[in-house]
Amino acid sequence: MRSISPPLGIEAWRRGAGVLASAGQALRLGALSALAGWPVLIGRAIFYLVALAVLSALWSKVAGERLPGTLARALPAGGLALYVGASEWIMLSIPSIHLRLEDDIRSGALETHLLRPKLYLLLRIAEAVGDMLVRMGTLALAALALLLLSGRGAPAAGLAFLALSGVLGGAVGVLLYAIVGLAGFWIRRTLPAFLLLQKLMFLLGGLFAPVSLYPSAFRRIAEASPFAAQLYWPSDQLIAPSAAMLAQTLALQAGWIAVLALIVAAIWRAGVARLLKQGI
Amino acid sequence: MGGILATYPAQAAAAIRASFADRTNFLLQMGGMVVNNGFFLILWGLFFAGFKSVGGWRAADMALLLGLIMTIVGVSGVAFGGYRDMAAAILSGEVDGLLTQPKPVLGRLLSRDSLPSAWGDLIVGLIILIGLGGLGWRQAPLALVGLSCGLVIYLAAATAFACLAFWARGARSFARDLTDFMILFSSYPGSIFSGVSKLAVYTLLPAGFIVLAPVKLLRAPSLGALTLVVGAALVYALITLAVFHLGLARYRRGLTPTNG
Amino acid sequence: MSAVVSVQSLSKQYRYPRRRGGVLGAIAGAFAPDVQTIDAVGGVSFEIAAGERVAIIGPNGAGKSTTLKMLCGVLEPTAGSARVFGLVPWLQRKALAYRIGVVFGQRSQLWGELPARDSFALLRRIYDQDEAGFARRLARLVEQFGLGELLDQPVSRLSLGQRMRCEITASLLHAPELLFLDEPTIGLDITAKAAIRDFITEHARGEGKTVVLTSHDMRDIELVCERVIVINQGRIVVDQPTDQLRRQFLARKRVTLQSLAPRIVIDLPGLTVLPSQPHTSVLDVDTRLVRVEQVIAAALASGGIEDITIEDPPMEEVVREIYLATAGD
Repeated sequence: MRSISPPLGIEAWRRGAGVLASAGQALRLGALSALAGWPVLIGRAIFYLVALAVLSALWSKVAGERLPGTLARALPAGGLALYVGASEWIMLSIPSIHLRLEDDIRSGALETHLLRPKLYLLLRIAEAVGDMLVRMGTLALAALALLLLSGRGAPAAGLAFLALSGVLGGAVGVLLYAIVGLAGFWIRRTLPAFLLLQKLMFLLGGLFAPVSLYPSAFRRIAEASPFAAQLYWPSDQLIAPSAAMLAQTLALQAGWIAVLALIVAAIWRAGVARLLKQGI
Repeated sequence: MGGILATYPAQAAAAIRASFADRTNFLLQMGGMVVNNGFFLILWGLFFAGFKSVGGWRAADMALLLGLIMTIVGVSGVAFGGYRDMAAAILSGEVDGLLTQPKPVLGRLLSRDSLPSAWGDLIVGLIILIGLGGLGWRQAPLALVGLSCGLVIYLAAATAFACLAFWARGARSFARDLTDFMILFSSYPGSIFSGVSKLAVYTLLPAGFIVLAPVKLLRAPSLGALTLVVGAALVYALITLAVFHLGLARYRRGLTPTNG
Repeated sequence: MSAVVSVQSLSKQYRYPRRRGGVLGAIAGAFAPDVQTIDAVGGVSFEIAAGERVAIIGPNGAGKSTTLKMLCGVLEPTAGSARVFGLVPWLQRKALAYRIGVVFGQRSQLWGELPARDSFALLRRIYDQDEAGFARRLARLVEQFGLGELLDQPVSRLSLGQRMRCEITASLLHAPELLFLDEPTIGLDITAKAAIRDFITEHARGEGKTVVLTSHDMRDIELVCERVIVINQGRIVVDQPTDQLRRQFLARKRVTLQSLAPRIVIDLPGLTVLPSQPHTSVLDVDTRLVRVEQVIAAALASGGIEDITIEDPPMEEVVREIYLATAGD
């Protein structure tokens, strides 16, 4: 069966194609799983709309008052409702991959997956991305419905740029959550680490307000963090679409995805080595 | 009625002791909530640093509001923690066992759990309330009234949401969502609400009575404000007790969709 | 016949620091840990040839699952060596993965909320199977296992027996030559157990596959495997063909009788009366000397029998007996 080995190039190509096909299938599975749980999708959409209602009420009030000597002058003309709609759209779409990883590690199900010839971690991340895409689709529909109902407009270019950079931003978030989940190899409860990470995402990613409104020291830290690539830069495209900024954003996101992927791979290798020695 | 007042503290104390059992878990949950709340403080700090006020609400007012809601959520979770998963308890048939006991069912349902994370809410809430809320010692009695009434309304609303479980299975996640929305609406300056949201905040998701009215009471005390706060507490409590008894009667007739 | 699995002095030791109570103990433990060593597997050696069906049995914690995990490559041994298809499992896990199929009885490898069909589709990609061959194999397995309508229902809605059939199917889709089954019938009812046993035997025999099975259930061994390896406390105590083992050690049944009379006396050879409470008689029956139905008939003849239970003696006892019997070797 495997007695004749084909030339190296073809073998590598075939292997790569196999990995890609598996990842694609895993992505499809993640999407199907998300669709199967449609009551949860609807619940999330409702939460999204309610949160948007409250936050846009806040920002409308602030923008409407235009108090002198405050940052109100720095607010975009239409207020921040669009921005918050975008940032919450990304944030709420990121699936809880950390729970999945923690569960697999703790329950021992990881061993079953290690017995397969394809990298478990890659497949899990692909699944999470599939899940994320379905969530993003659902929430986008909800947001568009809200836009139509409220009669508020949104720049078409902004929507397109947001769609593109938002998906990459979500991918950054997935990798960050994955790091927390993989900590399950060493610590029993990842929840505190997760909560901390999530709050950093809210704060440094500019979930409730663009990072550009922060005091300068804070802003610099936030802009340098992966969280800005996850939430702020994509969301900013909706209120101030610019092809140049989009290119920069995409490059930054690609850079962070590469860095985080390396970190995730390193943690995974260390974790699996530990598993092989100690069996968890 | 006197019976439950006498025995409830003992039931709650038992639940609190049980929550201490796993030290690591307790500290992690409490610590996690402290970090969580601390982060929200930072956010609002940044906001008021940049925007000074919104609709007449200043930093101190927001601190008062946050202090109130965190303290209320904290006390609820510590001493009445069963409210959080009450819908699940009803749907799993736990009420059967409670019905055979001589103590009132609602009390048992509330006292069966104490949430470690609520201590985090309580600690941060009290610190904010006392340190940042701009209250003087002479306002302590009024603050206590406001807190107590807010607590009653919060618990009453959350319990009423949970009681939906007596009627439908889907109530479990729906009840939690409603409670989360109630907390969400209670965490923003009241001046932003208008129209539909204002209506919601003074009826279905009573953030208006839980925190907004008490804040008004403490900033501008008047008999009218006091009556509103106390009156609302009584009304919500009565409504919830009625809903609970109706639901329990339905349960006893075997009409509730339980798992057991 | 070349050996498919070859194991030499395989050992696994776990070391963990023992926790000491109190704050001082915890601090002391951080600097000078009191390390405890557990010998999960203490030097086992055996070989398995192609086409053999082998059972590895033993009481809880005996080291069965640990051994199996080492053979799959999911655990590294502390000492010793093993080769499966000439590959070292823990070093060449991915390469080995294509050639083995594994079912863990208490864990699922299928995606719960989706129909099994979707999980199979992903597995096809994972194992780089071509569509035609895969479809053929799937159709045959579906027919053999009667999976027809089950494939399109969400896995979480299937009964445990139905799910196990899907799990085993999943492990066979890439046509592995070696099957590892870790407690495949645990928690199943008698019909489901029988279905799985029949399937494994038929499929394995028909295709010439090698099967390594661990189990708690003696019927799994008797009906499926031709060879039994008994592990107790991390060591192999018996390695024999099933027939031989059956003749020597498994030829016992335990009969419990509830009677109106305080005690029942049955005069037949091969019976040992075990201590019990009044109105209950527990008899250990040596089935080489007397048939269970003869014992039952005699009991019923004596009248006043309210309840009869026939069971296999507990595994721990059998293994203990085996261990005692072979301690001298």
